[in-house]
Amino acid sequence: MRLQAALFVAACVSPAAAIYPDEVNQIDFHHALLGAPSFDSTFFLKPSSASNASLLYTISENSILGAINPRDGALVWRHNISRPAGGAGLLRGLDGNNAVVGAAGDYISSWGAQDGKLIWETQFDGGSVADIELLEMEDATAASGVRDTIALIAGKSFGTVRRFDGDSGAVKWEYIDDSGDVPFQVSSSPTEIFYISLQSGLLKSSKVKITSLDPVTGQQVRQHILNTEGDITGPESVLFVGANSASPLIAWTDKSQKTLKVNVIGTKRVSSVTIDNTSGEEIQEITVHAPHKLSSLPHFLVHYKTESGAWAEVYHVDLKSAVVSKAYHLPYLQGQSVIATSNIDANVYFTRISDLEAVVVSSASHGILGRWDMDAPSSDRSVAAVTEVVSKGKSVAVRSVILRKSGDWQLIRNGQVEWTRPESLIDAVAATWAEVEEQEELAHELEVEGHESLLGAYIHRVKRHARDLQHLPQWLQELPQRIISSILADEVTNLDSFGVSKPVIVATNSGRVYSLDTGRQGAVIWSTQAAEKPWDVKNIYARAGVVTIDSGDGSSVVVNASTGAIVSRSAQQGPKLQSIVNFEGHDGSSPVRLGLLGVQEDGSPVAPFDDITGFLVTTSADGRVLGWVESDNKTPVWEFVPPSGQKIVKATARPAHDPVASIGKVLGNRSVLYKYLNSNLVLVTAVNEKEHVAGFYLLDGVSGKVLHSISQAGVDPLQPIASVVSENWFAYSFFGDVVGDSSAKGYQLAVSELFESSIPNDRGPLDAAGNYSSLHRTGNSLPLPHVVSQSFMIAEPISHMAVTQTRQGITTRQLLCTLSSSNSIVAIPRPVLDPRRPVDRDPTSAEAEEGLFRYVPFLDFDGRWYLTHSRDVTGIKNVLSRPTLLESTSLILAYGGDVFGTRATPSQAFDVLGKSFSKLQLVLTVVALAIGVAFLAPITRKKQVNMLWRAT
Amino acid sequence: MLLLALALLCNLAAAALTITIPPSTHLPNPHVLPATTHATLTTLPSTNQDHILTASLTRSSTLVFRNIPSGNPESYLLDIRSSEFMFAPYRVDVAADGSILGIWETFRGNPWDNRGAEKYVVDVAGKRSADVVVEAKVLGRKGFYEERAKFSPLSLVKNPMILLAIVALVFTLGMPKLMENSMCPMPNSPSRESGLDVLIAHCAVDPEMRAEFEQQQRSSPLGGATSNAMAGGGFDLAGWMAGTAPGPMANAEGARGGATGRDAGGAARRRG
Repeated sequence: MRLQAALFVAACVSPAAAIYPDEVNQIDFHHALLGAPSFDSTFFLKPSSASNASLLYTISENSILGAINPRDGALVWRHNISRPAGGAGLLRGLDGNNAVVGAAGDYISSWGAQDGKLIWETQFDGGSVADIELLEMEDATAASGVRDTIALIAGKSFGTVRRFDGDSGAVKWEYIDDSGDVPFQVSSSPTEIFYISLQSGLLKSSKVKITSLDPVTGQQVRQHILNTEGDITGPESVLFVGANSASPLIAWTDKSQKTLKVNVIGTKRVSSVTIDNTSGEEIQEITVHAPHKLSSLPHFLVHYKTESGAWAEVYHVDLKSAVVSKAYHLPYLQGQSVIATSNIDANVYFTRISDLEAVVVSSASHGILGRWDMDAPSSDRSVAAVTEVVSKGKSVAVRSVILRKSGDWQLIRNGQVEWTRPESLIDAVAATWAEVEEQEELAHELEVEGHESLLGAYIHRVKRHARDLQHLPQWLQELPQRIISSILADEVTNLDSFGVSKPVIVATNSGRVYSLDTGRQGAVIWSTQAAEKPWDVKNIYARAGVVTIDSGDGSSVVVNASTGAIVSRSAQQGPKLQSIVNFEGHDGSSPVRLGLLGVQEDGSPVAPFDDITGFLVTTSADGRVLGWVESDNKTPVWEFVPPSGQKIVKATARPAHDPVASIGKVLGNRSVLYKYLNSNLVLVTAVNEKEHVAGFYLLDGVSGKVLHSISQAGVDPLQPIASVVSENWFAYSFFGDVVGDSSAKGYQLAVSELFESSIPNDRGPLDAAGNYSSLHRTGNSLPLPHVVSQSFMIAEPISHMAVTQTRQGITTRQLLCTLSSSNSIVAIPRPVLDPRRPVDRDPTSAEAEEGLFRYVPFLDFDGRWYLTHSRDVTGIKNVLSRPTLLESTSLILAYGGDVFGTRATPSQAFDVLGKSFSKLQLVLTVVALAIGVAFLAPITRKKQVNMLWRAT
Repeated sequence: MLLLALALLCNLAAAALTITIPPSTHLPNPHVLPATTHATLTTLPSTNQDHILTASLTRSSTLVFRNIPSGNPESYLLDIRSSEFMFAPYRVDVAADGSILGIWETFRGNPWDNRGAEKYVVDVAGKRSADVVVEAKVLGRKGFYEERAKFSPLSLVKNPMILLAIVALVFTLGMPKLMENSMCPMPNSPSRESGLDVLIAHCAVDPEMRAEFEQQQRSSPLGGATSNAMAGGGFDLAGWMAGTAPGPMANAEGARGGATGRDAGGAARRRG
């Protein structure tokens, strides 16, 4: 009931700024990302025995496992199974089994392949999962369609093989190896399970020990050791351990890479094959590709890669004698190439994808079954491929997923690129909107005119207009089309010229830079590798046509915003920086960059900043807040140290662009409460981890004076504490526990508003003063604000806060809160968070006129406040807002995990003709009225004439 | 060694908390819940242990917490979060050994001690059951989208403005017709004199009354305004479209006062 009341009130008050279903994908875009896929855990799989369509499953380097629809590359479901312990993720699935099993660190979980819901999960204390396999054979006892999982868990000094029930995850049996060998992998044949471990021998070399286990009881059947001494030094020197094929293999080479040695697991025989290297180059990489299906033919392919090219050889295994023989070879090709294996029933197909073509061959013979020319080769090297082959009579169709070095992957169907997923965007560390160059040109021309004499400016202007005339014929040609399309098209008015669909430049931690087209669902315009190794991006700044990215080691890269070409680079210099300050001034409404300054770890600026008028507030590594003036970079002018025991976790200031439309708040009785407007506000958050106390300190950035402070008890310091300052208010959120009899447990959102005085029409000590000084104690010194606060209980943690920015600040602001547990971003209208809402009584008519309504302790987020609506936007670390030329509209960009962009219209799109304005309806109404007039006019005329005649 | 390994690797069979999601009016089929649905147990840690426990939605639409940490008695806040559905928060009290003491509904924005309906409470006398099953309560569903008003001719007809206009149109066009029809066809014809009674009965308006009405209509400002509006285009189309000027009928009505001058002018012309 309370909830309903809260909902009702919220519905009454909030301006309905929700998104319309038809605006989805038009005003917003979303990249639902997994991260760079790990190629040995990526596969096509039919999620249920009934369905014919397969999904693409993968686990990424970020330990996010998910299913992708291969048709359009859309995410079906995903789960983040990353553990603090880390470790590479593994994912296994089997055709016809409605489950995929993933493992990362000390955690194994089984998920429904179709819907991504949990089947079972289990966690171990100590030890991490080294390998998992799904048992393809069916027990007589087990229900069909449910396959058990075999997992190898590597502890500190022992290895454990366990069999988990496919339905419940219960452990059926366990085999413990405490011999001190390095647990390596598990594999299975139709009759046995093999546990493979590396027994360390002399001189760092290892022997492969194979233990056969009974699949039903887990008892050791036999054990033998392969003599690999001298060849194998560790897990990385074993090329391949065949999984689940009819003849599971283990393959390695000798140290000189002259011979390939293959053992069919379960036998003692080791076959040696001479590597026939005719390329004359050193072999860099050898990969073995074998089918993973139990019923498939015992064929495998070995792919040899050199610096400039690659070739492959196909081998057959005689099941009876376990002899490996060479069948045929795929010729040496220049450039990069990748191989993928796929099955149709028992037949095995190998797909070779090179720069120029994709070729499908059967494992049985070297005849080419299908060949497709590739689109233009990508500069991004391909690392691996996964394919699905469908036979159509004699020919075959193939769709392949190519994993690129950058982590991006794309699906190629018969040589055509169907989709590309920019997975490396998942570790985006900085983003900004690109500035277009053309408008700069016009601004420059206007500036020239402004500085010339009257006559000169006039001539310049006439010339400019004459020059513009050359575009006239083209404009006239386009005119009819534009008129028709604007009437008929479903599109909203094209707002591109208002800066609404600017490209977004995103820099990732891995050194890549992307440009995303916000107008076309965030499609990648260009991407470039700006740094070879991970960089510590501290600042990204866009100006006319270029984007500058500064990293923490002092180096910077300038990238062309429209092409992605690297314009210039500057080398590493100076000490390691904690952050980079971007001094911005405002010339009218456009921001002007005044300068750039590095801040060191100890909080001191790298150099004095005499050429910039301003001051600087920094945080130091030892938990102090420091204030600096231009001329001195050695000693701060002021220093803020929190009470002992407290540690500074965050300091925020008002956004650089934070215009205030009105200096006061008009009350219902027409009196005015004056806002406490100080552009130098700094909100410092400090926590005491032992006593669970959080302190919020509002400082004046010039003098370091504490204007207001709040202390909250029972705060969980490990949960996110978000805060934001804007205009004359600030907000923060935390998890609060019970501290007294009447206190509640849960997440809280507190908002405080600052006024010059508690009395309307009064400015307190400032009175009629036009100026005040933060520094002088006499005269108009900085007064303390009158603070009004209210706090609300909320249902979820807020991990990040931001405020919408509009051009002039007339539009109501919204508090943008990232909800990390429900994977969404909510925009709370400011009027809801007004701390002057009446408590325990209904508002008076004057208050109601002001828009105030009764305070309710629980703030429920209305569904219409969700900017992300039904999207699942995960992992957001930062949310940016930016004004457009339209006062109503603010651009929003969220990144850090997924990348999400939208437009917010906090007071509705009052300066835009939206979609609800039907031009066609307007035209039809006018036409109908015209017909009506044409029909009625003669009648009326006749009547009037008649009337005149009758009157006389 | 072996035993140690076993002890290290084996999961302790501690109490499990299972939350089932029954079908309800807001959520008739719990299987439509997305895979991202999850439940969390949150509290302020008394020690630095893993204090936020998470459970994912299973195929059978349940949320299962295994291995609730033991060590200290804790009072957890149980939240169930799904993108579209809202669930009631619960209070879960756990004993030092990790077994569940009780589960109650709780209210956000209320003191923690203010407990609601009891969902489970441990049976002190009887044997402790390790596994606890409670039902989740769906509070409502979030609506993310705004409905856009669709253009349909029917809604146009439903508009009172349009209805007024149609009625007005019927009057202006239909009334004269009605008048003419209601006029007795041949009241003065002698051959029909015998059927006069019938005719009078048939006629709605008698000639005298009709003449009177016409006289009235001629002098009425409404009629004059209407005719003026029709002839002179006094109706401000652009204004009406913009919503600033009143509609055609309101215009006519509003013109009642202002039109008298015009009407007077018309009368003068008639006189001349």
